[in-house]
Amino acid sequence: MTGEKKKQPDLSVDCGGIKLKNPVLTASGTFGYGEEYAEFVDLNRLGGVIVKGISLNPLPGNPPPRIWETPSGMLNAIGLENPGVEVFLKERLPFLRTFDTAVIVNIFGYSPDEYVSVAERLDDAEGVSGIEVNISCPNVKAGGMVFGTDLQATSDLLGAVRKVTRLPLIAKLSPNVTDITRFGTAARDAGCDGLSLINTLLGMAIDVRTRKPRLANSTGGLSGPAIRPVAVRMVWQMAQSVSLPIIGMGGIVTAEDALEFILAGATAVAVGTANFVNPRATLEVLDGIEAFMTDQDIGSLRDLQGKVMSR
Amino acid sequence: MPSPRLCNATILSHTAAGRQYYRLVLKIPGTVSLPLPGQFVMLRVTDTIDPLLARPFGISSVLTRTSIEIFYRVVGRGTMLLSRTRPGRTLDMLGPLGRGFPMPEKGIQPILVTGGSGFPPLHLLAKALKKQKYRSVIFIGARDRSELPPAGILRSFKEQASALHITTEDGSAGKKGLITDLFAPYCSLPDRSVKAKIYACGPTPMLKSVSTVAAECSIPCFVSMEERMACGLGACMGCSVRRRAGGYLRVCKEGPVFEAEEIAW
Repeated sequence: MTGEKKKQPDLSVDCGGIKLKNPVLTASGTFGYGEEYAEFVDLNRLGGVIVKGISLNPLPGNPPPRIWETPSGMLNAIGLENPGVEVFLKERLPFLRTFDTAVIVNIFGYSPDEYVSVAERLDDAEGVSGIEVNISCPNVKAGGMVFGTDLQATSDLLGAVRKVTRLPLIAKLSPNVTDITRFGTAARDAGCDGLSLINTLLGMAIDVRTRKPRLANSTGGLSGPAIRPVAVRMVWQMAQSVSLPIIGMGGIVTAEDALEFILAGATAVAVGTANFVNPRATLEVLDGIEAFMTDQDIGSLRDLQGKVMSR
Repeated sequence: MPSPRLCNATILSHTAAGRQYYRLVLKIPGTVSLPLPGQFVMLRVTDTIDPLLARPFGISSVLTRTSIEIFYRVVGRGTMLLSRTRPGRTLDMLGPLGRGFPMPEKGIQPILVTGGSGFPPLHLLAKALKKQKYRSVIFIGARDRSELPPAGILRSFKEQASALHITTEDGSAGKKGLITDLFAPYCSLPDRSVKAKIYACGPTPMLKSVSTVAAECSIPCFVSMEERMACGLGACMGCSVRRRAGGYLRVCKEGPVFEAEEIAW
């Protein structure tokens, strides 16, 4: 029982200039603005919070029904409902700032100008650790994925945002492309400091009795454990070809899931849909990673990052 | 310090109730605050990731300081799996959640209207109203006899009510027709001297007609809405319903009980 006391593993990582005390983040859109979960999670323990997407102006979102459960996952078409950047800065950010955790603000827009305006506002704000640029939401007509599935649009947009902010910039990439690594390369060349992948996979479900789509938006983004193998594969491919730090996400529920991403090459991980199922999922993932490292006598996360072996 | 709203609930009793419903009695830790009428809990029906999401359930009775009663109907895979769970099993529970029914001011007459499987929250409300000496008039509608609340609950409704009205669409119990056929004339009685407040829970089309009647008779009306939910905490924005003033309201957070006039029917 006694044995020698194992050393506390070092969980800290540098994610494109964002210093994280540990690699566990919250995926945008699954953790609100932190406040919604503060009752269940000591936010001080998290590596960081990636907040729900913020646009220049408030957006009402899509009509209901907005979600539909699928095998080990869910489809959503929320439509990026959010209070807009000014309300975020005045009413949401001050709460998050009271915690010792990185605050990464996910932004999006309907035009490159809107993205730029939001980034400018955040650049002036105190307490923002970095910006995650959402170029991959499948649920809004004009913005999001339109940028993230076109290489030129990706370059132009990220380049324009890069010009107006000193903050670390992370591009959140869409899996709805043939070769995601090309988009990672484009993001790197546009001056991004890191990559988040993956956003949801475009999906659809139909009620065979009414013959109508389950979602009012017809299609939606698939998330949850169902997409994890796709996400792990994409992170692995990206890590082979682009040298930027990667925030890996897609269906992480347990520490073991998170470790898969880290071995595939992710620097940090984000817990998403699992927050809906278990409000304490982030902390369970964090505790599990720490226990795994202690158990395996792994001193630093760097000893795991990208250390998947060839078969 | 993690919130007591996230806990393990142990199944004390789980039985078929009538032909359509199951009655689930859960033991909850004493640290969990007791649900107010109209509040709900999220229950995970398995320990696995399929089905992934927890399901929302209304509370029909608070039996003791540490036990609550739920009635539900099997409507899909989640409730089907739940129906197979046995006493002794523990389920992940989140709750109580949301905003419940506001109690009426003194001297107000409560009118309760429920349709189909919407009766549980109104039963809890009826009991709370009776305890505070309100004289509630209760309307219960169903498609047929088997969809009415199970016998024990129906009896209890009768005990809580100063008057109980029942309709079934096929006439197999109570008066034949829709519940609004009885409810609407009652609300528009010209000699209504007592001020009233309407509380409703049931299928959305029923809630819509109840709210129309309420507006026509200028009686304040509170409805408990249902939507598919993921988190129950206001984070996923999945359960939104249209708001009359524009935008949306989250059933789990701003609701599930709304003033009927807030909703864009």
